[in-house]
Amino acid sequence: MLISRRHALLGTATSFAIIGRARADDVVRVGGIAPITGPAAEAGRFLQNGVALALEAINAKGGVLGKKMEFVVEDDQTTNPGAVLAFSRLVSRGDCVAYTGSIRSTQVNAIAPDVLKAAKPVMFGGTDPSLTQAGNPWLFRCRPNDSFSARVIADFGFNTLKKTKWVIVHSTDAFGNGGMKALVSSLDAYGIKPVLVQGYTNQQTDFTPVVLAVKQAEPDVVSSYFTFENDLGIFARQLRQLGVTVPWVGSPSIINTTALNLAGRALFGTYGIADYTPDASPEAKAYAETYLARFKAQPDNQSTWVYDALMLLAKAMNDAKSTEPEAIRKAIVAIKGYKGTEGTYNFDEKGDGLRGYNVVRNENGKIVFDKRVEFTS
Amino acid sequence: MAIFLQLLFTGLGIGAIYALVALGFVLLIRAASVVNFAQGQFAMVGAYMLVVCFNVLELPYLVSMALSVVLMGLFGVIFAFVTYWPLRHRGGLPVIISTIGASIFLENIVLVLYGPSPAVLPGLFDSPGFQVGPVFMDSQYLSILVSVALLVALQYFIFEKTLLGKKLQATSQDKEMASLLGIPVAGMILFTFAYSAMLGGLAGMLVAPVLFVSVGMGGLIALKAFAANIIGGYGSIPGAILGGLALGVAETLGAGYISVPYKDAFAFAMLLMFLMVRPQGLFGEKISEKA
Repeated sequence: MLISRRHALLGTATSFAIIGRARADDVVRVGGIAPITGPAAEAGRFLQNGVALALEAINAKGGVLGKKMEFVVEDDQTTNPGAVLAFSRLVSRGDCVAYTGSIRSTQVNAIAPDVLKAAKPVMFGGTDPSLTQAGNPWLFRCRPNDSFSARVIADFGFNTLKKTKWVIVHSTDAFGNGGMKALVSSLDAYGIKPVLVQGYTNQQTDFTPVVLAVKQAEPDVVSSYFTFENDLGIFARQLRQLGVTVPWVGSPSIINTTALNLAGRALFGTYGIADYTPDASPEAKAYAETYLARFKAQPDNQSTWVYDALMLLAKAMNDAKSTEPEAIRKAIVAIKGYKGTEGTYNFDEKGDGLRGYNVVRNENGKIVFDKRVEFTS
Repeated sequence: MAIFLQLLFTGLGIGAIYALVALGFVLLIRAASVVNFAQGQFAMVGAYMLVVCFNVLELPYLVSMALSVVLMGLFGVIFAFVTYWPLRHRGGLPVIISTIGASIFLENIVLVLYGPSPAVLPGLFDSPGFQVGPVFMDSQYLSILVSVALLVALQYFIFEKTLLGKKLQATSQDKEMASLLGIPVAGMILFTFAYSAMLGGLAGMLVAPVLFVSVGMGGLIALKAFAANIIGGYGSIPGAILGGLALGVAETLGAGYISVPYKDAFAFAMLLMFLMVRPQGLFGEKISEKA
């Protein structure tokens, strides 16, 4: 298994090597894990697009401490063991000053003990709130966590859509469970107890039992935390087929490029909570234009978080005038008011940088910006 | 009752896919004593062939499907020459390892050639389905059920009523004796590989509109199909079909009435139960007799 996956990896790794080929001491190297194979392989490609744009932007402005920034990628195979293996390969290289982790909370969870041992900053995109609350000083989140997404979903569904009979459909992995718990407690603040909380395991072939349970609960709004776009696509199609037409407010995966392609019409009219959407800020818009011109596709959060992660790392190292782990860590925590593609970063001691989400609508396949909701804590 | 019928219909639809892949497994076990761990990847390759014929070359749907099935037959022969032929005299295990290797190779070569973006295929029919009383009949699940029924009938006809079928049966029962009777054993085995690849590929094409086409789609189905194989009886053709259907229905009903997160557990609990209580499966011979 290892050999053929490594071959698949080699091509990608070479392309990065070409971008930043230079003598070892002339570069500042950041290592990252990415799903190059496995169910999230497409997301892995988007991530690498984000990396390419970030490196260009950073190196065009003089790089880091006068050196070029370089990125080395290892395949996490979209699995937890794969993520652990990929991360340990990066660490054992010994020449990376910092790392980027995964957008999948469960994989960040898996590598967290090794992150503690490596004792170098790791930027990640997973949104399970507990990831930054376990006292690991090296984890920095480049997306808002799900305590905020849940508050925005609850606020939008209750105050804007005026809905009170809630169903929550969630993946049973770390991300899905974390989101579900946050949403249950956010709804509790409005005095609402969901009529159904339905978990499912990732990578299903069929969602009929889930859809029938939703239908029986007779909700007036469906909310969801889906990890994989394939699952979301199958669920969406079967939900519509079996006649559930109530409003649906989903976590960010509902407006991902892949999900929109797969589910098509079945997602028309749904609402999404998006950490990234092009119309949210001038920075987000500029990124979308560059990405579209370069890759002939709309960007989504799979590439924006890692773009921000590398920009933040470059800024922290330039601010600190050092690539020492502790100096970078302090410089990241000190970042306030940095405008990235995902929003304005104000890092706290725990490692959370963002506290806002956008509400968007899917209007016949086009994602329309509705509003941005920011929290102070 | 309405819910039961809906779950039953879906369970049969998914079960039919397991059955189709399991059938491919069984044929190879019988003809060549090969447990082919790349059977799920046959489904994936078949689905990608349909994607290339229909989405890229823009041939009509049925033509694309027929062409893909024929190509899968050819693919099966190449597969046999690469993974089975050089190792055929070295016992079962080397061939099994070789098919595992092939399954990983196939996933990665498709990833390199096609890229990681999952593809969407339309169903056989434009309409998503229709309502019969309380049950929504998904047109693709119906197509799957009808196709499986037709294939089983065809297979019965070939194996029981034609000379080719008799030769295939003779080969699977006793290769030496078949060879003495002038049956081209090697040809029969290659034919079985081709047929098995066509079945696997067809399963992938039929399930593609439901599951989408991605590199990992085969693995999902193959594990269940293998379980179906054991439940139905190792090496039994009617067993593979009934095992597949039973597994699909059991996991769907279990998910519907007991717990969705434990859906896969129902399938494998059923497998464990069979291994403990009736290890020969529904239709199988006793394993001890086989040894």
